[in-house]
Amino acid sequence: MSQSAAAPMQAATAARLLRLSARGLLRDLRASDVRALFVALTLAVAASTMIGFFLDRLDRGLTRQAGQLLGGDLVLEQGRPFDGELRRTLEEAGLTLSDQVDMVTMVSHGEAFQPASLKAVDDVYPHYGVVHVDFGDGIETSAQGPAAGEVWVSPRLALLLEAEPGDRIRVGEAELTLGGLIEREPDQSAGFGSFNPRLMMHIDDLGATHLVQEGSRVEFEILAAGPPQAVERVAGLLDRLRRDGVEVRDVRRDRPGLGSALERAEKYLSLAGLAAVLLAGVAVAMATRRYVERHLDTAALLRCFGATQRELARLFALQLLWLALVASALGALLGLAGQAALLALLTAFLPLTLPPPGWLPLALGMLTALAVLVGFAGPTLLRLRRVSALKVLRRELDPLPASAWLVVLVASLVFGGLLWLYSGDLALAVSLLVGGLIMLLALWGLGAILLGLVLRMTTRLPLRGAGSGTEWYQAVRLGGRQLARRRNASLGQLLAFAVTFFAMAMIALVRGDLLSTWQAQLPEDTPNYFAINIQPSERDDFVEALDAAADDRTALYPMVRGRLTAINERPPREVVPEESRGDNSLRRELNLTWQAELPEGNRVVAGEWFDELSPNEPPSGWLGAVDAEPGATTVPISVERGLAERLGLTLGDRMTFTIGGEEVVGDVASLRDLDWDSFRPNFFVIFPPGVLERFGHSYITAFHLDSGEGATLRRLVRTFPGVSLLNVDAILAQVREVITQVTRAVELVLAFVLLAGVSVLYAALTASRPARAHESGLLRVFGAGGRLISRVQGAEFAVLGLASGLMGALLAELATAGIYVAWLDLAPRLHPGLWFVLPLGGVLLIGVIGHLLSYGLRRQAPAASLGLLGEA
Amino acid sequence: MSDSSIPDADIKRAPAVEHALRPILHARHLSKQVASGERRLTILSDLGLQVFPAESVAILGQSGAGKSTLLGLLAGLDAPSDGELELFGESLGQLDEDGRARLRAGRVGFVFQNFQLLPTLTALENVLLPLELSPRPGGSERARDWLTRVGLGERLEHLPKQLSGGEQQRVALARAFVTGAELVFADEPTGNLDPTTGARIIELLFQLNREAGTTLVLVTHDHALARRCDRCLRLENGHLVELTRDEVEA
Repeated sequence: MSQSAAAPMQAATAARLLRLSARGLLRDLRASDVRALFVALTLAVAASTMIGFFLDRLDRGLTRQAGQLLGGDLVLEQGRPFDGELRRTLEEAGLTLSDQVDMVTMVSHGEAFQPASLKAVDDVYPHYGVVHVDFGDGIETSAQGPAAGEVWVSPRLALLLEAEPGDRIRVGEAELTLGGLIEREPDQSAGFGSFNPRLMMHIDDLGATHLVQEGSRVEFEILAAGPPQAVERVAGLLDRLRRDGVEVRDVRRDRPGLGSALERAEKYLSLAGLAAVLLAGVAVAMATRRYVERHLDTAALLRCFGATQRELARLFALQLLWLALVASALGALLGLAGQAALLALLTAFLPLTLPPPGWLPLALGMLTALAVLVGFAGPTLLRLRRVSALKVLRRELDPLPASAWLVVLVASLVFGGLLWLYSGDLALAVSLLVGGLIMLLALWGLGAILLGLVLRMTTRLPLRGAGSGTEWYQAVRLGGRQLARRRNASLGQLLAFAVTFFAMAMIALVRGDLLSTWQAQLPEDTPNYFAINIQPSERDDFVEALDAAADDRTALYPMVRGRLTAINERPPREVVPEESRGDNSLRRELNLTWQAELPEGNRVVAGEWFDELSPNEPPSGWLGAVDAEPGATTVPISVERGLAERLGLTLGDRMTFTIGGEEVVGDVASLRDLDWDSFRPNFFVIFPPGVLERFGHSYITAFHLDSGEGATLRRLVRTFPGVSLLNVDAILAQVREVITQVTRAVELVLAFVLLAGVSVLYAALTASRPARAHESGLLRVFGAGGRLISRVQGAEFAVLGLASGLMGALLAELATAGIYVAWLDLAPRLHPGLWFVLPLGGVLLIGVIGHLLSYGLRRQAPAASLGLLGEA
Repeated sequence: MSDSSIPDADIKRAPAVEHALRPILHARHLSKQVASGERRLTILSDLGLQVFPAESVAILGQSGAGKSTLLGLLAGLDAPSDGELELFGESLGQLDEDGRARLRAGRVGFVFQNFQLLPTLTALENVLLPLELSPRPGGSERARDWLTRVGLGERLEHLPKQLSGGEQQRVALARAFVTGAELVFADEPTGNLDPTTGARIIELLFQLNREAGTTLVLVTHDHALARRCDRCLRLENGHLVELTRDEVEA
């Protein structure tokens, strides 16, 4: 046949196979295994797309929100003006630029003087969002900053200056009109560094103020906005700028984090999604076994009628492909609905408007369905290809089943691939996979031992019990023997059920532990006020007043501001990794403190805390260790791990701080982890006592005050006017609301996992239905009554449930311990209740589902039961 | 193979005598051995057979004589241990299993003792199955027509379990003839039926065979069925022995 003739023929064959497979699938929908396959694939797609859609939208939403908080997609900051060439390069890359100048300066109105955080903006400001300003007639939104000649100030600054709209405010040498009161800025990011009230002015007025002088502490910023590709185009330039010490904030790299609780929630959702996919995969594997057994005759007949092996393989693969496509479509719809439900549950967590769902999660969902199908059904399906046409004459000529190990190996590889795809972490995927396979091997051995035990125990049961117990003994004997007789099938079921219970239990356990961790993290008396700027002279009085008023408070931490000026006696920018040259810690003063005891919520992760370093010397012994000569003597210091990682510091590295014109040198003696979500004062660098006391310092503390204690608060403010009190109730309430809502979202996802688990049970019990039918038919022929058969099946299911529950509990304990330590950063713990709940739940769940599915069989005439093998 | 080469079942073919010199099926020195533990068991030995177009041939034999094994070999469902076999003029020894399958497609029909209907397919869908592998225009109409011919025009949508044994074998007959097969193999077609139903099925089989001008090779231990064939052979000790009419009657 010529090549030109072969092509249309092949196309015709392909079209015929497509039609044939679609028609075959439609007919096959009557079969329970196809329904089980459909449900499992739908659940896999639904779970993965739901979580995929949600995380994708969340990611893009947070990026957008981060852009608003940063003031652009890209922010460059340095202490001198940027040159024109850089600006041209950025503009040519497709970015819109906005100039901004920041500084802290003294402003005045009449006799009132006040330090203010000055922000000079141009006409392009703001790139994203609007400014909420009160021009005198209530709060309005403005898509621009103040016009030239005008200033806008925060209400607090207006109050302190006793100024009203229309008044003239002196800024440096210029006098500008107070045009409005800023309620909210789109790019406002709160922090202890921006305590001074805001004053916003037009950049064109800056010259007249004469505030920008040689040596003055001014930050020049370029805020750039544009598509991700534009930012990507200047990536090389950004790296160079970072090396030159320019602070570069990229919305994708430097997006604000979710906080550890929500990061864990995000990880939990991914974990639950993968668990649902794994369960769906197990269900697919079980259902495929039955599907293949049922189609052996079809395959043999088709071989008789002239189908080639390749056509057979394609036919059945296409049939399942159709199934996967339909399941994917339905699963994607469910996933869309599910993510909408997740979003609805997370309204406090996500006050931002999220972009519409993208296509990527949908594609990933469909890829997941195909991967699950190929990985979990592929090797089993190949059996159909090997069917001999002679089987139509000799029924016993079934091709050998695919090796269980081959099935497990292929499924594991595919699942490992999915793990890698979803986690983006190859090492994690490989370790989970290898761990999983070792566990499976161990389970196989354990299952075999358990089955052997069951057989031994049931054979030792007395043939005759007392009274009504007779039938029960008989039932347990028969049920146990049946299980043991179908050794391989029973082992397969046992493993599938154990993995199912394990996945369900693990997701439920992690959920419970996450929730209790979150709740413990923010107890009722979590500090809701920060008191800063407490002077040493008023420290004791303030503590006394606070102890009388507040329920709970943290320790008082002294705070000294110092600049990091050398690392290992070299300028920091020469020592730190290139990408950290613009790090805030190198550009601004750091808040330093001293403590004898490790602060609450801190954990030393490397090195030793001060008291361990010199056990014979009290911490105050350091007092005399510092020589008056700068840098002559060093002291041990403790550094936060994240900062150490950014700056490339390890134990023993030397850090030099300049405080009030003097140098203080410290060697890194320990690295600490601390909980940034704790609502307590946290410090990057802690000195031992006796080093920093001689420098000017103030104190900071956090405390809890009930909302009804307004009078106490007013008294505190009146008594200590210099102390600033920051109320974080609103933030605290939002975090609590977030935790409540994340809990609900987690429960929704848990429901999906449980559903996937039930689909495994359904598929596995459906797969074993013909064998059970045959056995119950035989029992009936030999004179067993319906009640005995029901009890035999009940006993069989109960033994299966009990054994798989025990194995599932063991797996869940081991896996959760591993996940806590390696992934979720939680302390591992034992779950004694699990060892009762899971075996008992197994007995009930498998018992109920199995009994329900076998109801029809028990009512069937023996002839029908015995003829059922090989049929639907 | 092209569709045009397949004779239409509705058109009476030319008389057998025109094809007398070209057997549709030709076996030479055919033998089949199978492993039985450490021994090799000979089922068929040096067996020869020629079947000519439009001829009906019955192969008789005791249970376990190897009738089904022979049928499997003749239909190309299995490969012989030794010997040559030609089907439609093509040597099966030269073809792999897929090649033999392609050779059968649309040209060979089967009727089995246990009907071999797919339980999840309706009667119509079962008949349509071979047509789906060798499609031709109006396939669905053709299947309906054949089911009507076997008297099941009212039961097209019934599943096998809703049909009696005789009805199931009728569906199998319709399925064997629906593609316009040139050669039909039947393996104990009445073996699972009571005598009355069996007799009706035999009648129907030969009627359809006659109308379609099909070549028929059937294996059976039913002498009544064998008597209806043009030739009868008995499988004995792995060899085929031609029986006279009297021997069959006896």
